[in-house]
Amino acid sequence: MLTERYLQIFVALADEQHFGDAARVVGITQPPLSQGLRRLESLVGAKLFERGTGRVELTPAGAALLPYARRALSSIDEFHHAVMAQGPDGTELRIGLAPEVPASIGAAVAAACGNAMRGSRVTVVSAPTAALIPQLTAGRLALGVVLHPAVLDGLSAGPVTLLPTWALVPERVHPDDEKPVSLRELDGLPVAVRPRAEAPAARDLFLDALALHRPRGGTVAVTDERAGLAMAAAGQAVLVTADPTLEAAGVGRHRLTGDPLPVRLRLVWAPSRTPSGLPPEALPKVIQALGPA
Amino acid sequence: MSAASRIRAVFEDAGARGWLHATPLDRPGDTVEIDADVIVPMASVYKLPLLAGFCRLVDDGAIDPREQIRVEPADRTAGPTGLSIMADPVTMSLRDLAVSMMTVSDNAAADVLLDKVGRDRLSHLLRDFGLQQTRVRRGAGDNLQELLRRTGAGDPDAAFAVLADNDRTDPAGVYDAATASASTARDMTQLLRSIWTGEILSAEQTQFVAATMAHQVYRHRLSAGFPYDGVRVAGKTGTFGALRHEVGVVVLPDSSGFAVAVFTLAARGDGRLPRVDAAIGEAARIAVNSLR
Repeated sequence: MLTERYLQIFVALADEQHFGDAARVVGITQPPLSQGLRRLESLVGAKLFERGTGRVELTPAGAALLPYARRALSSIDEFHHAVMAQGPDGTELRIGLAPEVPASIGAAVAAACGNAMRGSRVTVVSAPTAALIPQLTAGRLALGVVLHPAVLDGLSAGPVTLLPTWALVPERVHPDDEKPVSLRELDGLPVAVRPRAEAPAARDLFLDALALHRPRGGTVAVTDERAGLAMAAAGQAVLVTADPTLEAAGVGRHRLTGDPLPVRLRLVWAPSRTPSGLPPEALPKVIQALGPA
Repeated sequence: MSAASRIRAVFEDAGARGWLHATPLDRPGDTVEIDADVIVPMASVYKLPLLAGFCRLVDDGAIDPREQIRVEPADRTAGPTGLSIMADPVTMSLRDLAVSMMTVSDNAAADVLLDKVGRDRLSHLLRDFGLQQTRVRRGAGDNLQELLRRTGAGDPDAAFAVLADNDRTDPAGVYDAATASASTARDMTQLLRSIWTGEILSAEQTQFVAATMAHQVYRHRLSAGFPYDGVRVAGKTGTFGALRHEVGVVVLPDSSGFAVAVFTLAARGDGRLPRVDAAIGEAARIAVNSLR
């Protein structure tokens, strides 16, 4: 049966005119290359190369068939690329983002993956850390950006990236002077906090740090940052966010003195040195994309 | 919901990975288990197999438990309790060193005993006890040396501060079971059962182990799950960075006893995580209740 490998041997030998070099191009050793050529010649029913001392030359039959072999190989390459683009399984890179990942950073991570894998599909889902980790473990997601700390259960992970946060504070409790504030000054309103079950360890770390720096003021549960921002706009809550773009009329944006409540993010993937499906050299770029803009 | 899935939820809520094995002392066929055969670094829980080996050597007449040992401050392994924090030379009997090792997790006392028992002799004894997965590769002193090497820190406090920092990644290998003293939750309950049922030690040494472990001062893990004066808990904790463990025997007012081993690895690095300590007790309580 004619195989892709026979065609590779034929074209490589015609280009290199040397058995050793051709074997290196194909990525095999010389004996299987010679054997492959003999099989191809018996399939074709003609000699394709004249082997002299140190020289390999196309026979007339070889020269006549070579263009067809090149065309067949490039068609097979096109087929491989088409498979990558369709991505029925394995060639699609699925990314999961925790909701605390600012939109611009999530976009930068996805873009870094897209740039590294031109021609293949990148899909993105958003889900809480506690929901992303089982999907990463099961291999349904190739890559996740989750809150740190989280129980990673044997998953591989990149370094911890810290994003500074701002407090979005209703003007009526603190003037919108763009100056840093200490958490302690913000005890007039509850701090909006997303549900604890979404990321128990990270949320507890947030709440413990909040309680240490701000003994009074309490918290109020919100489903997401949009709700938190709306609560701030209504003068009902303070929102702590790493997203530089969230804004609303009547709500001031302030750095927190000492940055006591950073958002800690970590790139996570199924156990291996680099995420499966992502070229290894792309990993540092994806990790870099996680950092503050 | 099964006991195992309720226990998994407890660990998840506490922000910790957990491994557990629990079994009634008189019905080893009944178990509650969560990844009970996964090999986990033991931290100070290694002091239990060390104590068992020590007591066996006492039974064999190879060690005199009354032998007086003078422990010089300069030779003592660092640690947060016991002889480790004392300033002057101390002379104690081997069995009193064992008491300090088990009741306050005295690192200095443990390393004296480990030297006396010997690592090779201990590994033979553990195999003799039928423990397939339990390895005491290092004592407390070697553990600290390894931690200093991996963190690049100058002293134990600085090294533990590296592990406690939530803003950076743990140095590679600090929680690597392959190089540490390690065991499985199943092996630990098997050891507890074989001690409590008198299979591996004399009546006298069995009593010594049970009494010593009942005197442990730490009540924030297994014991916290059983807030009743009528329930007795004899345990040994283990703590190292994000690892928090306790293995022990829980005896209910009706005298029924249960061997329980709970190992955890917290997501957070903080030195104090009362939620995880409490989760160890809660997990044990769910397991024991389902086995009653």
